[in-house]
Amino acid sequence: MPDDAASNHRDDPEQPERRDFLTRVGVGACAAAAVGSGLVTLDFLRPKVLFEPPTTFLAGDPGDYPEGTVRFNKERKAYVIGAPGGVYALSAVCTHLGCITRFLSDQSVIACPCHGSRFDLEGNVVQGPAPRPLPWLEVETNPQGLLVVDTGIVVPRGKVFRA
Amino acid sequence: MRALSTGPISRWLIDSSLYRSVVRHGVADTNRNRSLVVFENLFLHVHPVKVRQKTLRFTHTYWLGGVAFACALILIATGILLMFYYHPSVPQAYRDMKELSFVVDNGTFLRNMHRWAAHLMVLASFLHMLRVFFHRAYRPPRQFNWVIGVVLLIVTLLLSYTGYLLPWDQLAFWGVSVGTNMAKEAPLLGEKVRFLLLGGNIVSENALLRFYVLHCVVLPVALLLFLSVHIWRVRKDGGVQGPPDDTPGQEEVR
Amino acid sequence: MSSMPPLDVVESSDPMATPRRVALVRPDMRPAVRMTDEPYVMTFPNLIIREIILFQIVVVGLAVAAMLFDAPLEGIANPLETPNPAKAPWYFLGLQELLHYFPPVVAGVLMPVLVVIALVVIPYARINLSAQELWKGAGAGRLAAVIGVASAIVLLFAAFGCWPIVVPTACVALAMLAARGGGDGGAIRTTLARVTLPEWIMLWFTIVAAILTIIGTFFRGPGWTFVWPWAAAAAG
Repeated sequence: MPDDAASNHRDDPEQPERRDFLTRVGVGACAAAAVGSGLVTLDFLRPKVLFEPPTTFLAGDPGDYPEGTVRFNKERKAYVIGAPGGVYALSAVCTHLGCITRFLSDQSVIACPCHGSRFDLEGNVVQGPAPRPLPWLEVETNPQGLLVVDTGIVVPRGKVFRA
Repeated sequence: MRALSTGPISRWLIDSSLYRSVVRHGVADTNRNRSLVVFENLFLHVHPVKVRQKTLRFTHTYWLGGVAFACALILIATGILLMFYYHPSVPQAYRDMKELSFVVDNGTFLRNMHRWAAHLMVLASFLHMLRVFFHRAYRPPRQFNWVIGVVLLIVTLLLSYTGYLLPWDQLAFWGVSVGTNMAKEAPLLGEKVRFLLLGGNIVSENALLRFYVLHCVVLPVALLLFLSVHIWRVRKDGGVQGPPDDTPGQEEVR
Repeated sequence: MSSMPPLDVVESSDPMATPRRVALVRPDMRPAVRMTDEPYVMTFPNLIIREIILFQIVVVGLAVAAMLFDAPLEGIANPLETPNPAKAPWYFLGLQELLHYFPPVVAGVLMPVLVVIALVVIPYARINLSAQELWKGAGAGRLAAVIGVASAIVLLFAAFGCWPIVVPTACVALAMLAARGGGDGGAIRTTLARVTLPEWIMLWFTIVAAILTIIGTFFRGPGWTFVWPWAAAAAG
């Protein structure tokens, strides 16, 4: 090492490794503190309570849905549809760019007003730019026997809820 | 930092052209490289490359300006984090304070850090002013830097005052009411200044929003600008001045 | 400018002689750092590491305080219900205490403005530049002046019943008098003797501000009446 008289270093001639070791421990501790602070900050920023509307809604009695019934819940953006032997739910949000679709009962088709996508009553894309079919949503009954639809849970297509 | 750069992986990393494109100097083994660490760094190059050894001692300045600056940095960091959960509207602001205290992870800790750093910054600024006074470090050519320091003290107090209203609890509301009523007593301008400050005649949503903008944007920018000039002037005036070297009475200046 | 050293002008009739340019630097405007033999050290790492350590100490200290002491949060703001007492933040409590004795124009506006003006003026009024000890070479005139001014302040503030200012002023005045002739006294007296007049004034101001703030923080209860801190804490 060049001898720098202007530097404040006083190398320990006996054990230069001690200074190096302590430097490494110190910097390592700072690094650990920095990583810890970063994790704490990330944890702080993740919301623990959301003030958004709940994803579940009550959809009435299973008997209200004879085959072919289509009911539209505007606030939760979901169709509840009667099938042979059961009930299922479709998301009403168009898979193209998120517009809210509408059910055209005379044509038995779900149409999106934004770019012309059309879906059949099982959610399959019939026409238009939508890349994916409408997802099927979970349908359950509550202890009182009423239907509960959860728009936050997607179930496999074709899974009809049998009451 | 010899200790960190002697391993084979470290050496390979430091010698790579990717690293060298970012950090242009070599390992700070030589005085030239130690100079470059300071000289080529945007944030560090307000420092001179060499400093008088005497100025490093704790008793030279008691590092009070440094404590105030450290508090400012902590306040900016914690303040920005708190801003992610705070709505400056009535009564949502108070609910957000409750949310920070009971719902958000580490919300209480960050809020406490912010509050105690604020108190420490006011105290450290005042002690720093006393230190500079008793060391007579405002003598020429440092006169204007003292004035900038007084401005910084006022900006710090205003930052503390505007932040005081934001929790929108009884302490905040009435503390600010008392303060603005004191300002109202100023002749000629008092009423007008109070009206501008509050955005109305009473402490209300308008006042909260104005104090929020002052506290989070206007005053921090003012603080950073004046702080930059303050620190730059210290450098240009030859560095920090601690206890006057000469014995009293022997430096007659006319 | 009468103390400027005379200019040395070298005259020469040789047209080829190198002209000398004399740069004149007024002594009071010279930079504070002269060429000295003082040792210099590299900023990196000596100063940088101290700055890093200071920052870490402040962060750790504040983190410990943040874990031990919670920031207060009272009930939601209610414009219809004034708490009793309604106190400003602690750095304004000194002013609020002054409001108890003086009309708002004086305590709330005049005094703070005067303080700020006095602070700003310090370097320009060349305060304390020569660091003259208060009693050095001073005669009876200075003694009379000190006693006179101190008495005037005490009487003025006593007329308003402002004891938080009267008592510290009297104490500081006594300390100033004790410093007189302190060159041969004990250790405390010798230290006091070295204090200059502007430093006494700043000490006085700091002590008064601290006492006013302490009283406003701990000794004032409902209606701004005087309470003992332990009684207030028990009741509150």
